[in-house]
Amino acid sequence: MRRQSILLTGATGAVGSDLLRMLATRKDLSINVLVRRTREEPCERVKAVLGDLDVTARLNVIEGDICSGPSLGLTDRALETLRGETTQIIHAAGSTSFALPLPDARAANVWGSRNILDFARRCASLECGAFLSTVYVSGKRQGDFAESDYGDAGRGFVNSYEESKAEMEEMIREAMNELPLILVRLSTVVGDSTTGRVSRFNTIHHAIRLFYSGLAPMIPGDPGSPVDIVSSDFVAAAILHLLEHAPRPGVFHLAAGRESSNSLEDLIGETMSALSRFRPEWRRRSVERPIIVDLDTYELFVRSVEETGNPVLKGATRAIRTFAYQLAHPKVFETRHAAATLAWNGIAPQPSLAYYPRVVKYCLETNWGTRQC
Amino acid sequence: MQSSSHAGIQSIAEYLPAQVASVGELHDRGLLRGSPDTLRSFGFETVHIAGQESNIDMAIAAAAKVLEESDIDRDDIGIILYAAALNSSSTLWDGNGRSPNGSVLHLESVPDLFKYPASLIQSELDLTSASVVGINQLGCASIFAALRLARALIVAEDDLQAVLCVSADKFPAGRHRDLAYNLVSDGACAAIVRRDGETNRIVECTQVTKGALWDSEEIENEIIAAYFPTAKALVERTLTKAGLVMDDIALVIPHNVSLRSWEILGRLIGCPSDRIYTENIARVGHTIASDNLLNLRQATESGAIEKGDYLLLFTFGYGSNWACMIVEH
Repeated sequence: MRRQSILLTGATGAVGSDLLRMLATRKDLSINVLVRRTREEPCERVKAVLGDLDVTARLNVIEGDICSGPSLGLTDRALETLRGETTQIIHAAGSTSFALPLPDARAANVWGSRNILDFARRCASLECGAFLSTVYVSGKRQGDFAESDYGDAGRGFVNSYEESKAEMEEMIREAMNELPLILVRLSTVVGDSTTGRVSRFNTIHHAIRLFYSGLAPMIPGDPGSPVDIVSSDFVAAAILHLLEHAPRPGVFHLAAGRESSNSLEDLIGETMSALSRFRPEWRRRSVERPIIVDLDTYELFVRSVEETGNPVLKGATRAIRTFAYQLAHPKVFETRHAAATLAWNGIAPQPSLAYYPRVVKYCLETNWGTRQC
Repeated sequence: MQSSSHAGIQSIAEYLPAQVASVGELHDRGLLRGSPDTLRSFGFETVHIAGQESNIDMAIAAAAKVLEESDIDRDDIGIILYAAALNSSSTLWDGNGRSPNGSVLHLESVPDLFKYPASLIQSELDLTSASVVGINQLGCASIFAALRLARALIVAEDDLQAVLCVSADKFPAGRHRDLAYNLVSDGACAAIVRRDGETNRIVECTQVTKGALWDSEEIENEIIAAYFPTAKALVERTLTKAGLVMDDIALVIPHNVSLRSWEILGRLIGCPSDRIYTENIARVGHTIASDNLLNLRQATESGAIEKGDYLLLFTFGYGSNWACMIVEH
């Protein structure tokens, strides 16, 4: 039987690193990891992700760059070899920064994906190409957002990340007519459900830090709006399962959905409670719970902070602003399609509050990634 | 005789120095740390600056005025509560008693260890029946503590008929007058809290102290961030204790911090801006601890308040202290 050969991009990123760690312990796989050179050698970057993991898969680190055109930064020969052996693609690379100017976000998320799509078209044995996206391609829509829905429905986007991912989806949708592709839309990944471990600290973790520092007086949103978060282990297991078993083409939401989400008020309450439980001395600081306010009030506050020019408060409000504006556009992500595909293997999102406190604890113990746990 | 157990703020007077300076003039004189445009955008235009008068002079002027305007018998004043927001206001300086050396307090001035303003005020006003108590370390919330204590003392002591609350602060010469994006004025206020007072019956007084935020210079950002959620929580707690809701409040009597901050706090506590008395913010600025009483008096005189109206007074003082009071006019 032919050994499956997976091309993984974004292996050093938030989701990609969890995928790599999971894939690396499989015996039946060949994994080609396309890694960009930074100040560090690609191999060193991959080693840092794997740590002391017992790697049983056949792992090949390839230096390349999805943004360097259809060649992916490879030689013709290397490209040809890779095309010949690839049976599956997981495209996890891209920029998750919310603050990039749109052209830069496009360069990473649209043009890079176009190059991977071009690569996929030339893979003779391709069985499935999984392109990772975000449930927030829904932009400023409110209410239910189904897996069969696309884009912002003309409501606009909160940031360039969402917009660039929505543009990427348009491209993938077209290609679905000719290729066995799936789009996997992820909710906000916060950390491992068992250990709380965070591969890459994102805006949610930064918000937790601002709560801890007492620098987040208010959050825009509605107290009852659902906040959708998922654990990294659920996401990694689900992606690998979908890669092998999902009907294609298809779109799948890896989200907590209606059942496993909690309200914004509950999540803030749990954050404050976890901070005082895991760092009892923090209670002495008497940090008040941030107020949930309407968008107009938050805008007024942000404008005032901007006018003062205070760099610390400006940094804090900007950090909250990048993700929290989504909270002012409450929505529920339907997960019917993904749930049906994942259910038989027992893969399902855990209720958010069952594991979220462990993530808060991990943030505290590692001082948001600056200290060994 | 069985005494009743309520107290009201019967008479109020203020003293504002005659000298007025605009935001631009303060900037030109090097008395601003931040941008004049930001201060203007936040609603400030002018402040009062004391010249030769010391904070004690201002306190005595305000107290004399309130005694003169009130029909009270001076012998009924059983206690003087002298509230000082600035550390420099709670002592006398340089051994010169009432008006230290030209009345201008300099940063290098030396405090007298055992000479106190409260006794001096008692003596100057000839209030020989009154004992004195000094209140400080509460920043701009000092006068709220004085009013709260006055009410508590009247309730607790059957023979106490009236308490004179006085507050006065004068910024040291040369000190920046913008603090946490607010513009500081010099000024004083005085109020007589009377047993069975029919006006401004004190319904509820609350205060929150967050000692962790004591260092107003080092952790100014944390204090600014804590301001709104703590203020909202305290206002709501005070209303609940009083058995009222925000719709029952006819007028909010604010401290004169930035208009912008009141726009935000008004939204947070569910109070429309036309029910917040902000008329003095631009013209007077933030007189440290005297704002609320000054505003209460002027709101009364302007006819903005009717008999029986519930009023909510709120302030914040470094320390950090949030204070709230509900009175029935």
